[in-house]
Amino acid sequence: MTGREGKIGLVPARYGEKIVGGAEIVLKQMAAGLRDRGWDVEILTTTALDHHSWANELAPGFAVEDGMPVRRFPVVDEVAPDRGELEHRILSGERLTIAEQQRWMNGGMRVPELYHYLLDNADDYRALIFTPYPFWVTFACSQIVPSKSVLWTCLHDEPYAYLDLFEPVFAGSAGLLFQSGPEQDLAERIQSGLSPHAVVGCGVEIPESYDPEGFRERHGIDGPFLLYAGRREGAKGWDDLLMSLARIYERRELPFTLVTMGAGEVRAPRGLEGKVVDVGFLDDRERDNAFAAAAAYLQPSRYEAFSRTIMEAWLAGTPVIANGGSAVVSWHCERSGAGLTYDDEFELEQCLFFVADAPEQAAAMASSGRGYVLENYTWELVLDRVERSLEEWTVAP
Amino acid sequence: MVTPYPPVRDGIASYALQSVAQLRGQGHDVRVLSPGPSAAHEHLDLVGPRGGLALAKRVRDYDRVVVQFHPDFFYPVQATSVERLEVSAALATAFRLAARVEVVVHEVDYRLGRGRSLAALAMRAMWRQVDDIVVHSETERRSFVEAFGVPPGRVRVVDHGSAFVARSAVGRPEARASLGIAPDAFVFLSIGFIQPHKGYDRAIDAFAGMTPPARLDVVGSVRVEEPDFVRYAEDLEAAAEATAGVSVHLGYVSDELFDRWILASDVVVLPYREIWSSGVMERARLLDRPVIATRVGALADQARGAQGVRLVADDAELRLAMREAAGVQELPSNDGWSEAGARRDDVQALVVARAAARRGAVPSSRLSDASAPNIDAVATAPLRRLHELHLPDPGAGRGLRPRLRRVVRRLTAWQLQPVVDHVNALTRASVQSVSRAADPADDGTGGRRGR
Repeated sequence: MTGREGKIGLVPARYGEKIVGGAEIVLKQMAAGLRDRGWDVEILTTTALDHHSWANELAPGFAVEDGMPVRRFPVVDEVAPDRGELEHRILSGERLTIAEQQRWMNGGMRVPELYHYLLDNADDYRALIFTPYPFWVTFACSQIVPSKSVLWTCLHDEPYAYLDLFEPVFAGSAGLLFQSGPEQDLAERIQSGLSPHAVVGCGVEIPESYDPEGFRERHGIDGPFLLYAGRREGAKGWDDLLMSLARIYERRELPFTLVTMGAGEVRAPRGLEGKVVDVGFLDDRERDNAFAAAAAYLQPSRYEAFSRTIMEAWLAGTPVIANGGSAVVSWHCERSGAGLTYDDEFELEQCLFFVADAPEQAAAMASSGRGYVLENYTWELVLDRVERSLEEWTVAP
Repeated sequence: MVTPYPPVRDGIASYALQSVAQLRGQGHDVRVLSPGPSAAHEHLDLVGPRGGLALAKRVRDYDRVVVQFHPDFFYPVQATSVERLEVSAALATAFRLAARVEVVVHEVDYRLGRGRSLAALAMRAMWRQVDDIVVHSETERRSFVEAFGVPPGRVRVVDHGSAFVARSAVGRPEARASLGIAPDAFVFLSIGFIQPHKGYDRAIDAFAGMTPPARLDVVGSVRVEEPDFVRYAEDLEAAAEATAGVSVHLGYVSDELFDRWILASDVVVLPYREIWSSGVMERARLLDRPVIATRVGALADQARGAQGVRLVADDAELRLAMREAAGVQELPSNDGWSEAGARRDDVQALVVARAAARRGAVPSSRLSDASAPNIDAVATAPLRRLHELHLPDPGAGRGLRPRLRRVVRRLTAWQLQPVVDHVNALTRASVQSVSRAADPADDGTGGRRGR
């Protein structure tokens, strides 16, 4: 279908093993997939691994990491005195002036050496793929050569998305890759005259087998459990989930423990003491085993551009209980028929009652999920769509 | 290079970026220092004498220092003569310590170099420390030499657009589609930072009375949240609302979007009241779009030999040039008043009708139906002109004043913010109510009656 001519630069703000962050993981897998299909691929990223501290943990410069050419650049992270306040005002829905928006954008982490590398060398690349949209790296660097800049947007219905600052990025890039129909709808609602765009989905790796019992044994987990995977932070709905569970457990004793994997501090509130098990960061295989062992997977985030974890749950035959505030996750649940959504604590409670009281029904409901993922979101399918878009939007050298 | 720098949106930042790219492309090792955080390697608050002295500490590390100069980067706004003296002395120190200094002058007030005041002497002394001064026109060069007493050999003229490259790769149809502009529209464009001296209101006045497919788009953002600039932006929006076919687009304009607007346009209109040289004119030339500009500053020098640049002397010429560009016949000199005769009531009626047409309410006899304005827009205009209320921005910086402002804001926001939010909600609700009341097709509940 394609000559696969020209170098593709993929530009995540972080890259490496043990990165917790959907966009970064997906870009890593996309890079590997494009390379395996014959593209000349390179990663342009920072020396940081942690998106809170942005500490420069790795050496700058060029290296081949697990067969992938990677250029790393140091982060400058001098937080401006007023950045926290500006962030707070954005999140509270206040409309900031352009000058304030620019101060917010430039008041956190920056990567001047990457910016200047691209300024000097953009001609060497056919396309540059950035993600996610609100990061400085995407905002600043995608504007150096917009005609080569493709965004894996990861757009959520969140206050940042409505900042004037992003209008030229959404409207002036070579193209936008969306992961779902609702993400595209949101972009079209926010921005008139969008850049060329396409819904390409998001690839999920298909495990060959699962070992749920082995997972239980290795982690000492007895009885049914609910699973949460990802960053344990307020923006992902983690804190709200814990508080809701604590209140629900006060009202009725449920048979589930809550098992969680990923990064971030776990602070079980009163009422959930002893019921939260943190298994930390798991490798891919053990992660898949955890999904297979769970009674249900919880997705409490309202801000999801795709939600790879619900796909992993469905591949393992596990039902999903998700925050209905996320249009994307609701869309997946409705289309697959394999997940329930909740809009408040009482609906969450009823979802949990369903899984506790009728586990066989819950499993039967989840059974359609695997087919949904296989029909839509294998990497083969997604890479086909990505390649078509790159061919269409960018010019071969 | 000492300069504002992307991704902060600024014409000088954009100019500097292209210079940096060019120098790096020639093999130079270029480090950038900007007045605030940006993609520059370093940043430093340069305003005031401390800024100059801080610069002085750094310049010896470099073989060549290039300064993109605008007074606002170094001198406090409305600086006193003492402040000017202090800043000039500090900058003179920095320039003297540098191995070689090149200053690209984007704006300067020549009056401040004339006379015998200490501030003027200090400023002249500062400029004499510069090895190479770059201006964009011969007129600027002459003025600079005369005002600041620098040897003529040190002031050189460089074509404003010498390092410019196009930042958008789309064609006109794609540019128009992305901006929601009809393919057959005739687009006048005034683009740049919204400041009174840019004279965009003159373009609106000159455009008034033109009919579709002609349209005028004023595009830009307020560079500094100075009350005068903010008020000017509001005045422009009000004028646009009152003038059929005119739109003001206030917002963040990236380099790419800037060029896309130019590509989408038919004519770029630069009705400046004062300016020395124009980056917009250079971008229009780069992208092959004709320009109508006022003959101010050194624009005549800049335009010399350029194809497609028409300079005008005053508003009447501007109006005529825009009409000729769009292929519109100029109106008769009495502009249709003869039909009213001399009877006061007839004249008064015509006054009202024409004013309404200007405002966008009732089409006058000369306006086509297509230009008939939205009645909702008219009824709600006074309310919509009341822009959203915001608590004043305390500003960035580490000095005592910004810190104090931020403290005051934190202490008072819990009381003031709900009031601000409520006022804004009230304004929005009022606009909605008036709009419904004014729209005969609305049944009063927000629903639409059948049509």
